[in-house]
Amino acid sequence: MSKERHEIAVRRLRADEEEADRLPLRWATIARLLAFTRPHRAQRDMLLGLCVFRALALPGLAWLVGHIIKGPIAAGDGAETARGLLAFTLLFILADVVLYWRVRLAHQIGENVLRDLRDQLMAHLLTQPLAFFHARRHGGLISRMISDIEAMRNGIQNNFFITFVSLGQMAAAAGLMLLANPTLFLVLLAIAPCLLLVHGFFRGKILQASRIQQEAFSRVTSALAETVQGIRVTQGFAREATNAGIFTRLVRALADNVVKTASLTALYLPLLELNAQGFLAALIGVGGWIALDGGGASLGDLVTFFFLADLFFSPITIIGGQLSEATLAMAGAERYFRLLDTPPAWADRPDAIACPPLGGQVEFRAVRFAYVPGRPVLHGISFVARPGQVIALVGHTGSGKSTLIGLLAKFQLPLSGQVLLDGHDLDGLRQASVRRQLGFVFQQNFLFAGTIAENVRMARPEATDAELRQAFRDLDCLDLIEGLPAGIHTPCSEKGRGLSMGQQQLVAFARALLTDPRILVLDEATSAVDTLTEARLQVALARLMKGRTCFVVAHRLSTIRRADCLLVLSEGRIVERGTHDGLLAQAGHYAALHRDFLSATT
Amino acid sequence: MPTQPAAPEAARREETLRRLLRIAWSHRADCLQLLALQLLVVFLTVATIAIAGVGIDFARHCVDRAIPAPPLPFFVPAGVADKAVFLWLGGGILVIAFLRAALAYVFGVVSVRFLHGRIVVDLRAQVFAKLQQLSFRFFDSNASGSIINRVTADAHAIRLFIEGVVLQLAIITLTLVACATYMLRTDWRLTVACLAVLPLQVWFAVRFSRRVRPAYEENRELMDRMVLGFSENVQGIQVIKGFALEPAMQSRFAGWSEAIRLQKRKVFGEIALFWPVIDGLNRLSMVVLLGYGGWMVARDEIALGTGLVVFAGLLQQFSAQVTTFAAVADNAQVSLAGAKRIFEILDTDPGVASRPGATSPGRFLGRIGFEDVSFEYQEEASVLRHLSFVAEPGQRIAIAGATGSGKSALLSLIPRFYDPRGGRVTLDGHDIRDLPLAELRRQVGMVFQENFLFSNTISANIAFGHPDASPERIERAARIAGAHDFIVGLAEGYATVLGEGGVNLSGGQRQRIAIARALLLEPTVLLLDDPTSSIDPETEKEIMEAMESAMVGRTTFIVAHRLSTLRRADRILVLEHGKLAQTGTHAQLMAEDGHYRRAILVQAEGTAV
Repeated sequence: MSKERHEIAVRRLRADEEEADRLPLRWATIARLLAFTRPHRAQRDMLLGLCVFRALALPGLAWLVGHIIKGPIAAGDGAETARGLLAFTLLFILADVVLYWRVRLAHQIGENVLRDLRDQLMAHLLTQPLAFFHARRHGGLISRMISDIEAMRNGIQNNFFITFVSLGQMAAAAGLMLLANPTLFLVLLAIAPCLLLVHGFFRGKILQASRIQQEAFSRVTSALAETVQGIRVTQGFAREATNAGIFTRLVRALADNVVKTASLTALYLPLLELNAQGFLAALIGVGGWIALDGGGASLGDLVTFFFLADLFFSPITIIGGQLSEATLAMAGAERYFRLLDTPPAWADRPDAIACPPLGGQVEFRAVRFAYVPGRPVLHGISFVARPGQVIALVGHTGSGKSTLIGLLAKFQLPLSGQVLLDGHDLDGLRQASVRRQLGFVFQQNFLFAGTIAENVRMARPEATDAELRQAFRDLDCLDLIEGLPAGIHTPCSEKGRGLSMGQQQLVAFARALLTDPRILVLDEATSAVDTLTEARLQVALARLMKGRTCFVVAHRLSTIRRADCLLVLSEGRIVERGTHDGLLAQAGHYAALHRDFLSATT
Repeated sequence: MPTQPAAPEAARREETLRRLLRIAWSHRADCLQLLALQLLVVFLTVATIAIAGVGIDFARHCVDRAIPAPPLPFFVPAGVADKAVFLWLGGGILVIAFLRAALAYVFGVVSVRFLHGRIVVDLRAQVFAKLQQLSFRFFDSNASGSIINRVTADAHAIRLFIEGVVLQLAIITLTLVACATYMLRTDWRLTVACLAVLPLQVWFAVRFSRRVRPAYEENRELMDRMVLGFSENVQGIQVIKGFALEPAMQSRFAGWSEAIRLQKRKVFGEIALFWPVIDGLNRLSMVVLLGYGGWMVARDEIALGTGLVVFAGLLQQFSAQVTTFAAVADNAQVSLAGAKRIFEILDTDPGVASRPGATSPGRFLGRIGFEDVSFEYQEEASVLRHLSFVAEPGQRIAIAGATGSGKSALLSLIPRFYDPRGGRVTLDGHDIRDLPLAELRRQVGMVFQENFLFSNTISANIAFGHPDASPERIERAARIAGAHDFIVGLAEGYATVLGEGGVNLSGGQRQRIAIARALLLEPTVLLLDDPTSSIDPETEKEIMEAMESAMVGRTTFIVAHRLSTLRRADRILVLEHGKLAQTGTHAQLMAEDGHYRRAILVQAEGTAV
């Protein structure tokens, strides 16, 4: 052990939300899921009726076959055979028509429920405050929407109804056999415990093996994802051979696990079938013996059982499979409902009113705030911004600049103190109505899939193309946008592929300008773009800010110099305030910050 | 990938199919072994049903001596009592059942070892190895999700073809032949009557798969759109809230969600029709069997048990197989599509590779030469035009220019991420295409704009280029990169796990680890592609210091906007639309009236006090 070998062997620390992928059935969850079928209850009840019919019809058909063979055919009665066959034909046609509707209705109800589940989740998430999203991984929410809802689909469309039909079919087959010959049926029942035993023995093992297999698979995919995402690094460091070795090992490990799981299944399924054949052996051996003994079993009974036994045995395997799938659906449903049951950390007061048209005065009165109780981020912030003023927020990362802006936009509620717009306490205003009068440019300006025009228009859906162009013209950058292949209709797809960083910022500026807000909130991008583009952005920014009350988290000196007032934040307090020149003269916090700034940028 | 016109598309499908068949043929020994096992299983199944039929006939014979006794199987000793015959028959069934279970088990294990243990493993490893060699052009033009799918899902295509098409078809045929043989021995007319619906079922199953599959594909597209919309709503939540767009976004999402439901509704009819039709046809042949067969029993042409009941039993076996036809048709389509994508990767020319016989001169000094180099990512869109310059060992070269002027492209030619279209790049006078690729890249250290760190420990990330590096060496690299201090400050130090579920570092910290990673290999040439671009100006100072110490003694190329960096360069290359517009030191360039001076003045305007 002289050398430690450093390999990228993908360690995954499981986040808490990923927990168990299977859960035992819980009636409360099933009932809640079923409650989603209530809007479609006519269809659902009809479906249940169809299921009952199928459960009776299938054993009925098998019984009829046995009945025709042992009766009219054995007796050579042609007319009776024909009548029996006619009944059989009518019944099977009816059963197949019912099957058609059973499948169709199950799918219809399932899809309706799924749509409702999707829409409810989306609506619920949109009511959550921003902090909710910051505390969660994006991938986790996506898998609620995809995997968990998919698991529930299976639960509703298949697991529930198939189990229902199978149980009914078993009961009906058992009833018919019991009627035909109780002694033979008892022989059959003796086999059932073996079945359950085999099933019980393997179920746990197979589940566990498949879970381990799943983990091996996710190791393969995450290794792969990292390789693809980090391909530049891999090739740049000439590490292909090492990676290939690691990957092959992971794939082998996965294959070993697949073989293990499949070997268990390869033992399990034949053993289950063995039971059915064991019964056939017993039927011929014992049944034949009894028949000859005159022990109450007729030949006809042998024929009846020959056909009915399968209808009794095969559902056991089917139900076993459905139940184990249902545990997946259950885990999915539990995770889904837990998310749906997470109440928003806060919401508008019920008596909150719509925000009246604003003039642009902003006041913070002794505002305190903490993301985590006991660890305050802002301690008693107070200031007044008059309409039209530009307020620059300056300070190190973590000093509370973005938090302050979040409070102003009512993304968060202050712990104590007040935020006032034109003298109205934000607490009493509805958040959406406030934000409609604010304009935002964020540090990372998320653009939605679609064209530039669609993204800008989000701010005001009724805006015409001419108005969009006017917005860019007002920013003095229409030429930059019109210079793109399709002008304002250029798609801004996947990050990095479509628009450059500078162009994305322009789109965000136009989006904010289109609402003509009285108050503009701006979290300046930190990314440096090349100097000429930067100059254009500066011009656009200056035009955007003109005549509005502006709050800027500033990273550029030019922006800071333009501000009417600088609020210098340090550890959640305003430590200095004043103009750029005035603060430099003080030779305090700001002057030190400014020195760092200059040494980095010049 | 560009879509091909229809005729070549058909030809390509045929070619893919032929190639798949060749692969299957190369595994014929394994396939035959599996088929032999399966044949035994089928044989035993038929035997079980036949023995049950004998039992029924024998019972009838015992009750009514007018009915002739059936010929008893070989294992029933001659002359045993009637009752004992049943026990022997039952025992026979039981023994066969055990045999059959054992065979089925062996079949299951052997097939998974062969299909998953060998075919899938080999293919995945092959695709992965190839993937890593492909030039960046491939990664530029394929979304990472689709690349991942090729190795995980599509690698199953070939397994699926062998298992779900070749073997499955052979098994269906075997079962049909075995059953039909038994039935024909009893009576050919009844056999034909019973099997009359079979072609109809096969036709229906294949037609079903053809019609429903496109609908599934359409559904997948709709699902993708819904998921994309959902994901955007989550990622862009700040924008949505900021513009109070919740209701609009909700209804947009509801539209996508509803589209899925409506599309599904259209195919429900088709899906729901499948089982009733297949099942109905099965029952129909049962009616034919009972009607026609019953008539034959009445005329004593066939026996009730060994004839009619066995026929009925075999019909059940049949119908189980027939439905798999739909699966085979499905598998064929899926595996063809998957195989096409897999072969595409395997056949792609890596683009950049070592020349055969490329040798390393041993030690490098780090003189980089560009000789009339032209380059483009895509045809007709040249990125670099006729670029020539020399960087002496140890020199610091800054590259300046507007976005899209070709700065990153220039850097990516040095480690041969791409090859130039015209001209050549040299290292110490050797055309870099004549050097072994791995050797060349080990000489070149790289720090990118955004550096990908792997989900692993910090030390493993720093030792990425040299997994056997000693802890002392890792620490030395970290110290030079100015990362040691903050790493030691973390709870688990160098053993801290990064990435999803692990510790998240700040942008500046990540960059310093990336610098340490590049330094560990002690490269003679260092490429710094604007490593401070996505970092606060406040943090930038720390990284600049790390970079300063990293650059000592190495030929360095640095893409930079900041004046401070430009000033310290031995030479600045100013690129304009892929051409070398100006070159010189900062002082020289400021004396010229050109792009450089203009840009610096604009910047000074923005920052000067």
